Amino acid sequence: MAKIDEIYEGVCKGNRKLVAEQVQAYVDNDGDVVELLNDTMIPAMRDIGDKFSRNEVYVPEMLIAARAMQAGLDIIEPLLAAKGHKARARVAVGTVKGDLHDIGKNLVVMMLKGAGYEVIDLGVDCPVEKYEEAVKEGAQVLCLSALLTTTMPYMKEVADHFKGRDDVKILIGGAPVTKEYANEIGAHGYGSDANDAVRALENILNAA
Amino acid sequence: MKLQLISCDVLFREMCTLVARTTNRVDVQFLPKGLHDLKSDQMRTRLQAAVDAVPADTYDAIILGYGLCNNGLHGLKARQTPIILPRAHDCITLFMGSRKRYLDYFENHHGVYFKTSGWIERGKAEGDLKQLSIGHIHGMDMTYDEMVEKYGEDNAQYLFETLVESQSKSYGQYTFIEMGVEPDDRFERMTREQAAERNWTFEKIAGDLSLMEKLINGQWDDHDFLRVPPGHRVVARYDEGVVHTEREEST
Repeated sequence: MAKIDEIYEGVCKGNRKLVAEQVQAYVDNDGDVVELLNDTMIPAMRDIGDKFSRNEVYVPEMLIAARAMQAGLDIIEPLLAAKGHKARARVAVGTVKGDLHDIGKNLVVMMLKGAGYEVIDLGVDCPVEKYEEAVKEGAQVLCLSALLTTTMPYMKEVADHFKGRDDVKILIGGAPVTKEYANEIGAHGYGSDANDAVRALENILNAA
Repeated sequence: MKLQLISCDVLFREMCTLVARTTNRVDVQFLPKGLHDLKSDQMRTRLQAAVDAVPADTYDAIILGYGLCNNGLHGLKARQTPIILPRAHDCITLFMGSRKRYLDYFENHHGVYFKTSGWIERGKAEGDLKQLSIGHIHGMDMTYDEMVEKYGEDNAQYLFETLVESQSKSYGQYTFIEMGVEPDDRFERMTREQAAERNWTFEKIAGDLSLMEKLINGQWDDHDFLRVPPGHRVVARYDEGVVHTEREEST
């Protein structure tokens, strides 16, 4: 266990350049990339996510932290793969059909990547076929986002489509979406914000 | 009938026209459109305060110039006077005259911003509502210069692309709904100009006052209107009927 303070702070502050430099230096010195990911980078994103949930930081801070994190991930991902390191799970995230809003969905993608998951970003306006394709590509959990009450009913269509398929779990979220609605349509989880989506995903995977 | 109308001011010109023509006696209160930009429980709280301020035993009903409005009406309670609410996701149903017409249009036209006289005159949140808006509290309404100052040039560029420009990428059309209450073509012209500036498509469609007219005239059929009896509250349903009621549990 060794947290590297400069990289941790660099991610939290959204200093992309510094993170890239420091991660490269760490790699050049034969540092352990799995340790870097698990003891420094993931905890840094968790920290920023928790601050977001407590309203201590806002959307811009989350976005730049995630971008700095990604700069580090770009360097270590090939090395992680070479070491046989596997992501915690493969999941897919998409805004449902008819809905073109992507800021919240993008935040969820970033937070899940930042928590060590492999994420398939399905984009916006996703019909059920797109989620089905993601499952074929190995997604264990489908994360559905909606910003409009007009498009929320499509979440139910997706949930109904996958009903009875034990290999597919559904997690939903978005501004008008509620925990009650998640229960009503038989979704396996509900995230109240992008950070909470990480917690909800962990619950689903732990229960599986 | 004696009615109290509480309406979003985005419907101002339409409601005023209809109130002038009805045989009912309608008292009117408009609330700012900016409520729509608050968190849904805050919108409900403000609307509830307006409902609660209506004197008891005075009106046959409180009629609302609202839709579900992103759950802003979810949980709204009727006290002594029944509440009548159009079954609609939002005001576009009211402008188009039916939720079926809105749904058909929505499904066949992607990435559309709607404009009406109200959306142009009263679309922007002002005063404390601006400070309390979701965009503001999430730090999403900053100018580019503010972003540079706070996060540096590199991050500001990225944030501007992500928070501001990405929206323009998903949306590509302004649809002007002409309601027949406009004084001239100024609102249509402004919408055309904005569309040209953004290089978006422009479309004009004819609005339909009939749903708002039925609200004001007291023709509240169950298909288009929800009646919330005293002691009940509005509950969002996300199905064909959009909203339904639940008895308030005594606490």
